[in-house]
Amino acid sequence: METNALGAKKRNAFNFKKWSRSRNGQQTFIIIAFMIIPLLLLFVFTYLPFGEMVKFSFYDMKYVGRRTWVGLQNYKDVFQRTDCFAALKLSLYYLLGGVLQIILALYLATILSFKVKLGNLFKGCMFFPFLINGIAVGFIFKFFFTRGYVFDTVLQWCGFSLQNLPYWLKDQSVNNFSLMGASIWRYFGQNMVLFIGAIMSVDGSMYEAAELDGANKFQQFIYIILPNIKSIFVLNIMLSVSGSLSAFEPPYVITAGANGTATYFVVMDRIAHTSQKVGLASAMAVVLLGIILILTLLQKLFFKYVFKNAEDDNPKKFKREQRKLAAAKGGAAQ
Amino acid sequence: MKAKRILAAVLAVSTVSLFGCSQQKSTDVSSSGETESGTSSAQSEDLSYANVELGTSYKDLKADIKFISHKTDLVNADYNGKKFADYFAEFNKMYPNIKVNVETITNYVSDTLLRLQGGNDWGDVMMIPAVDKADLSTYFLSYGTLDEMEKQINFARTWEYKNEVYGVPSAANAQGLVYNKRIFKEAGITELPKTPDEFINDLKLIKQKTKATPLYTNYFAQWTMGAWDAYVSGSATGDSKYMNQVLLHKSNPFTNPGDGTGPYNVYKVLYDAAKDGLIEKDYTTTDWESSKAKLNNGDIACMALGSWAFSQIVGAGSHGDDVGYMTFPITINGKQYATAGGDYSYGINVNSSKEKQEASMVFVKWMTEKSGYPFDQQSLPIKAGDTKYPEVFSSFEDVELVVDDPAADGEEDLLNKLNSDSELNINAGGNDKIMKIVEHASNGDESFDDIMKDWNEAWTKAQQKENVTVS
Amino acid sequence: MTTKEAKKRGILWPIIKYISLIFFSFVALLPVVSCVNTSFKSMDEYRNTNVMQLPLNGIDFSNYVKAFKEANMGRAFINSGIILVCVLVGSTIIGTQLAYVLNRFKFPGNNLIRNLFLFATLLPGIAMQVPVYKIMHDLGFINHLYGYIIMMMGTDVISIYIFIQFFENIPVSLDESAILDGASYFTIYRKILLPLLKPAIVTSMLLKGVGTYNEYYCANLYLQDKTKLPTVATSLYTFVGPRGSEYTLICAGVIISLLPALVIFILCQKQIYSGIAMGAVKG
Repeated sequence: METNALGAKKRNAFNFKKWSRSRNGQQTFIIIAFMIIPLLLLFVFTYLPFGEMVKFSFYDMKYVGRRTWVGLQNYKDVFQRTDCFAALKLSLYYLLGGVLQIILALYLATILSFKVKLGNLFKGCMFFPFLINGIAVGFIFKFFFTRGYVFDTVLQWCGFSLQNLPYWLKDQSVNNFSLMGASIWRYFGQNMVLFIGAIMSVDGSMYEAAELDGANKFQQFIYIILPNIKSIFVLNIMLSVSGSLSAFEPPYVITAGANGTATYFVVMDRIAHTSQKVGLASAMAVVLLGIILILTLLQKLFFKYVFKNAEDDNPKKFKREQRKLAAAKGGAAQ
Repeated sequence: MKAKRILAAVLAVSTVSLFGCSQQKSTDVSSSGETESGTSSAQSEDLSYANVELGTSYKDLKADIKFISHKTDLVNADYNGKKFADYFAEFNKMYPNIKVNVETITNYVSDTLLRLQGGNDWGDVMMIPAVDKADLSTYFLSYGTLDEMEKQINFARTWEYKNEVYGVPSAANAQGLVYNKRIFKEAGITELPKTPDEFINDLKLIKQKTKATPLYTNYFAQWTMGAWDAYVSGSATGDSKYMNQVLLHKSNPFTNPGDGTGPYNVYKVLYDAAKDGLIEKDYTTTDWESSKAKLNNGDIACMALGSWAFSQIVGAGSHGDDVGYMTFPITINGKQYATAGGDYSYGINVNSSKEKQEASMVFVKWMTEKSGYPFDQQSLPIKAGDTKYPEVFSSFEDVELVVDDPAADGEEDLLNKLNSDSELNINAGGNDKIMKIVEHASNGDESFDDIMKDWNEAWTKAQQKENVTVS
Repeated sequence: MTTKEAKKRGILWPIIKYISLIFFSFVALLPVVSCVNTSFKSMDEYRNTNVMQLPLNGIDFSNYVKAFKEANMGRAFINSGIILVCVLVGSTIIGTQLAYVLNRFKFPGNNLIRNLFLFATLLPGIAMQVPVYKIMHDLGFINHLYGYIIMMMGTDVISIYIFIQFFENIPVSLDESAILDGASYFTIYRKILLPLLKPAIVTSMLLKGVGTYNEYYCANLYLQDKTKLPTVATSLYTFVGPRGSEYTLICAGVIISLLPALVIFILCQKQIYSGIAMGAVKG
């Protein structure tokens, strides 16, 4: 880089020379050099298609062939159709799943953050499902839930009789819970690892002090761990709201969204693929994005309120945690 | 073998073929009176299907062509029939310098559409996906005029638009049910059912007297449900105009006509079977591959599948002799019919280089005439004048095959529009609506008449949106 | 009294602790273990025995060999390896550089850019496939490993945020003293800050690596030539079509595909936790 700067100096021997030698000039140079590629990639693969998608949402169009401008008709359709918003109801299952997942992850993370025999082995086991790819998850869970297969067999070991067990994917009163279970299974390990990281960052001497004061483990959890990871915890819950609204993979790979398991995105996918209503599907995506944005905004307001009352308020830290979670979420969405 | 979603996706969009072809007659082109062929002589120096003489034309042509196919099974090392590689090897005996590279796609329908919209270098030959007929010339090369092509192939109108033919069917099928003869016999069924009521009664008998699953839906595979759509036209009405003309203008087509025919009674068979527990217990975890073996050995009594499935099921176990094929149990004025029509069709990239187009044309013609591929796939003859019918049709002696007539001029894409608007997607991959029939019947949460009422409403709305005159 | 209670809890707590750990490890592994079990069975045995019954012939790798060959997994591993290395190196360089600039310099648009990246995480990828495909085609990226690699680097927002967060914990005084010594900004980034970022790099590489390794949707769409360009994730599609029910084979394929991920995770476990922990230090 230094050679580059030198080269630049030689080539422009006038005022620019001075400027480029100055800290200001170098700063501008490095800012541009370091940002141009990531911004280009972001623009080309994210915002350009996003813009196109928004444009599509105003057209009546298929994958191929002509398109007709229809204005807001697609948006009207999204709100008038019964299946779009009905599909959002299924998000409640995934929301519940998300909450359970966070509680479970926190519980296990707390245990594993302290001395535990074979701790790394346990961590590895629980993170394991996150390593499996989506297609494999589909195979595994069809196999898992088929009548008389894995899940039924294990429950029979536990004394259940097969007659009393429901059909896990067929019975519409349980099948969304089955998918929710698969979703928790897939992601709780990842949440747990994040929590372990956060808990490990808590100053160890605080526990010692607490122990000297006679605080038990549960009290330590309430008074030391929880306050220290409160923001990550609450934020995780809020993020699972948007995650549950856009739930896609578990129903898509396990049941293909059939039999009352079609979430909003699965419905959207079907509208785009089977009926080839690309415009309408795009409008659905935009509407959901709007909903998620509103919820994110509410979340911010909520935290402003919460953190006003928190004793160890630190806006900078909060901001950082928020970003971290966004990052974690991005990871989960991959 | 998702590959073979034949009718579901194809007949679907496509629709058409001019002549009612019955088993004894080979072809009958005479009814194409309205077509004009004033320009046909100008074709002579251009590339056209008719002008290709296999073994003579383009003998020295050197080209590599890419062929995109839905037949994922034909590249499988374990496939127990002729694989693509075998066909290509034979092709290379006649044309050693044309190299064919095949790519098979699992999610064929959606992937190919994406590729088409993405640009024009997707390859040289593909099985035409669900595009509008009006857009055919944007993507595909014309094989020649309709007149010319009808002298060459059957089902020439499958992908015809404005007198030009853009697709040559790779195979053609009839619609019916695969069944196990032994199980039917054990259940005391001596005569094949001819009406929905008889069929449901037979299924009940099978349930009582045998251990077999009377009707296996293959619900999980989804595409398998498309067979039910395919019965709607010829099998259920005996009317070759039904699919592309009548249905478009019919008010409330899903109403019970009261005579045991029509779409209503097709879907009702499935509803009733599901309601009465005559289908597999857990339809959400069905398994296509093993279902074939189960029908072969008598664990399953029957399945709703096109004629292409017959040979696969015969070959899926050691009881191939027990496997039979029957037409759908609907009788119209004392006669039984079966929907028949072209499967996925070869389309040649209109944007490929001249050499590649020539090579592709040669390849398509060879696949149709010399390869034996259609026959191997238990297809109705594709080459005009070919009278060699595969074994599966032996049970169709008293059954008349009905090939859908094309839509009226100017309404070529109307069915697509109505399908898309109503989201019923009849014969166009609308499997989810059929799966819902199974769900509602099993759960008992919606009556069949209510489902049909919903469909009627959706169809009526679509007709209104497209300003269709309804009668 | 209180000590007694404490003692009681002292015994009870470990029991609960280990029971829950064992239970949830069991739950996490059960579906996979059943897969391993099935992968050792022959098709006949699979049909005639309960899925949880141990294989009669002990450990038989023939399904693995068959799955490996049929799904062209040798090639797939090579491709996935190339993709992984390139994407990880690329996204690490891009991510750390961007994070450096965003964290260390104040300039107009800094916040806007951060928000653009943040907002990008909320955008629904599946809904944008139609335009993305067109763009990939226009760039000539389809059916080329490099095209897919570049696209995968472009979608990366995770690493950038992990890095920004990390930079915040590295005191600016470090930079300042280097500047006094006459170091250029690039030298500061390369020689001083990058080495300090190591834990964050490991963490982001792992998250990104798992995501990239398992990505099947775009790989299927953009690496169309499945004989030359399969990845480990898309090679599993071999079992979706005609192979849809040979669960013995499918299970073997699934296990083969996740072995490398498992090995790498076990090797890097420590760094991951410390990476996350250090990111959160000094709130």
